Amino acid sequence: MSKDFEPRIVVFACNWCSYAALDLAGTSRMKYPPNFLVIRVMCSGRVDPQFILEAFRRGADGVLVAGCHPGDCHYIEGNIKALRRMTLLKRVLEEFGIEKERFRLEWISASEAEKFVRVANEMLEKIKPLGPLKVEEVHMHG
Amino acid sequence: MNEEPRIGVYICHCGVNIAGSVNIKEVVEYAKNLPNVIEARDYIFMCSAPGQEIIKEGIKKCNLNRVVVAACSPTMHEHTFRNVLAEAGINPYLLEMVNIREQCSWVHSDNKEAATTKAKLLIRMAVAKASLLEPLKEITFKVNKNVLVIGGGVAGLSAARDLAAKGFKVYLIERKPVIGGNTARLGRLAHAEIKGIDLVGELSRQVLSSPNIHIYVDTELANVDGSVGDFKIKLVKNPRYVNEKCNLCGECVKVCPVDVPNEYEFGVSSRKAIYLPFREAYPPIYVVDSENCTRCFECVKVCPMNAINLAEKTEEIELTVGAIIIAAGHEPYEPPIGEFGYGVSSRVITLFQLERMLDEAGPTKGELKLDGREPKNIVFITCVGSLNTTPNAYPYCSRMCCSSTIKNALMIREKYPEANIYILHRDIRTYSRGDEQLYLKAGESLIRFARYREAPNVIVNPDGSINVRFFEETIQEEVFLPADLVVLSVGMKPPKDIDKVRTIVKVGCGPEGFLREAHLKLRPVEAATDGVYLAGTVTGPKNVIESIESGSAAASKASTLLTKEEVRVEPLIAVVDEERCSGCSICIGVCPYGAIRLKTQEKARVAEVDPALCKGCGACAASCPTGAMQQFGFKDAQLKSQVLAALTK
Repeated sequence: MSKDFEPRIVVFACNWCSYAALDLAGTSRMKYPPNFLVIRVMCSGRVDPQFILEAFRRGADGVLVAGCHPGDCHYIEGNIKALRRMTLLKRVLEEFGIEKERFRLEWISASEAEKFVRVANEMLEKIKPLGPLKVEEVHMHG
Repeated sequence: MNEEPRIGVYICHCGVNIAGSVNIKEVVEYAKNLPNVIEARDYIFMCSAPGQEIIKEGIKKCNLNRVVVAACSPTMHEHTFRNVLAEAGINPYLLEMVNIREQCSWVHSDNKEAATTKAKLLIRMAVAKASLLEPLKEITFKVNKNVLVIGGGVAGLSAARDLAAKGFKVYLIERKPVIGGNTARLGRLAHAEIKGIDLVGELSRQVLSSPNIHIYVDTELANVDGSVGDFKIKLVKNPRYVNEKCNLCGECVKVCPVDVPNEYEFGVSSRKAIYLPFREAYPPIYVVDSENCTRCFECVKVCPMNAINLAEKTEEIELTVGAIIIAAGHEPYEPPIGEFGYGVSSRVITLFQLERMLDEAGPTKGELKLDGREPKNIVFITCVGSLNTTPNAYPYCSRMCCSSTIKNALMIREKYPEANIYILHRDIRTYSRGDEQLYLKAGESLIRFARYREAPNVIVNPDGSINVRFFEETIQEEVFLPADLVVLSVGMKPPKDIDKVRTIVKVGCGPEGFLREAHLKLRPVEAATDGVYLAGTVTGPKNVIESIESGSAAASKASTLLTKEEVRVEPLIAVVDEERCSGCSICIGVCPYGAIRLKTQEKARVAEVDPALCKGCGACAASCPTGAMQQFGFKDAQLKSQVLAALTK
């Protein structure tokens, strides 16, 4: 793969835990790769699997959905709803030939800035060798 | 809103916090060329008064109808900039913030080029979303002036007292038959010449003297409907079987055939199935423990006041309140049988049992005798149930146990000057005011401190004697101590059934089960659910002072809501496009708040959202098969526009 390949990774972060963890990473002056572009949602349960399909269709090299730990959801169990949806979505992505390394669902609490940094580094490390997502090979509807 | 979007982009330097890593000039030029952007400007501190003026001026001069502010996290200043929009005469929800400080300049300060590129992309995403923003109307509710306080310990009592003093009507519920909580059973308190019961007594007197407070003991929360400013409460009052005619003569106790451990004395003594939890208990009425009562009716026969009715039923109570304070407290950690010899030898007791024994009014009249003899060697072990000391322990520090251990050790020293007293500890955390002096005094009083890392081994010998063996960290040697009495300084754990309460009130909890604040630092006495406040140890270990403080803090915070006539709620809630809704009801099953119902409209069934119940999670929108269900501020099209803008090369 080209050494210049810089994956673009879309992050859906819930307002209460994961977005706050990303803020904490900032206030703690941690460092992580700049490839992650964050879209704030109120709850990981708001993330429609269609958004993720849309992201891959538009050429995202990876997608990360981050929410509160089970039991910690601000909306009681939105994260469990996300878990159910994303478990199904993973199978759909596989059918489309999208490598499983490109998509992750993670529980990142407001205090787990370090976990975000770790997940980001891991994702990037695994996606880089895969190269850009080959959109034309992905037969997605629309 | 049909007019063309006219967007202003305002980029903040935040001194050097952003400008030090992001090339602002380049970003401003980039922003100017984004679709629908009319003007892009930068300023050293956009949140400052002159910064805010720049935005207002732009809105007026360029006739803007959308604003993007690229600065810090929205949790920091979204509110500030919304007000700027409102002051400039446009709807405050036509704002989109870009977090180029916490999520860009600060984390990429090692790569200025990458930080600048990322800032551009983030602004492009926000501009795309801003183009699709709609004006939203804030939702307002009338505020009911009553408050429900759950829990009659010191935190709940002080919250109730303060709210009543401000003129609000308070309903205080306690599931136990008596108010006072854990503090009521503490002996002499550190730094104060009073006992726990005296402190509770004083607080209770203040509470009882207020006509604004209604106390319900034996009462549990059954259901909560509604939302901030207007909660509909259902309570269940369990039968006490003894009514207020009781004159405390105690005849019933003499005839009761049942003997069970007295939980108010931590099992140090026993009680009958009909009992008064403790002297000075409020309400001063006996209670029948229905679990252990054999229904022999002996007490009914001897009661001179006819105060006992064993056929009493549970009672349902309904209330309407504007706010809820949860002060449900904690429970002491109870070591499993065998942990440090607990439950195996009667010479191994907990700190709370010791508190009861050292109380002159307690079951042993303040005497610490075991088998008729004063203990010569007393070993305290701290961090039992805390700091992961044993596999069964919790990971946190329980805050009060170190000081409490030292206080009790000093009391033993006063009473038994000849005793050898050892405190085996992992750390001594005497952080509260005056506690460090107590620690020094303990040293001067020849109480010996020894440090362990691996949990000490309490060996109960066949003859009943006890030895404690541990590795002392300071002298790096194995130490072997004979002990007549081992006191386990147990910590705190979340109260039983707290899950039931938090599910009803819809409050989250942390990994150990303590309730979770809306924000640990910025909103420490508020739950994330609007109108719900948290006080005392229900959010985690606290000492008595801190519990009372947090009770007052929660009351004060609640009163900022209760003094309002109306409450405004962010309108980021679900909304139905009735034309597209097929009435499939999937959203109804997904909603955690029961906020959606079907209504029939022109012969078709469509979903309808109750704005008073919807909390704006968006789970319904994500599950809607037709796209009819949307969330204001996070509509499908708005989020997809961000995705697209992030990925366009």
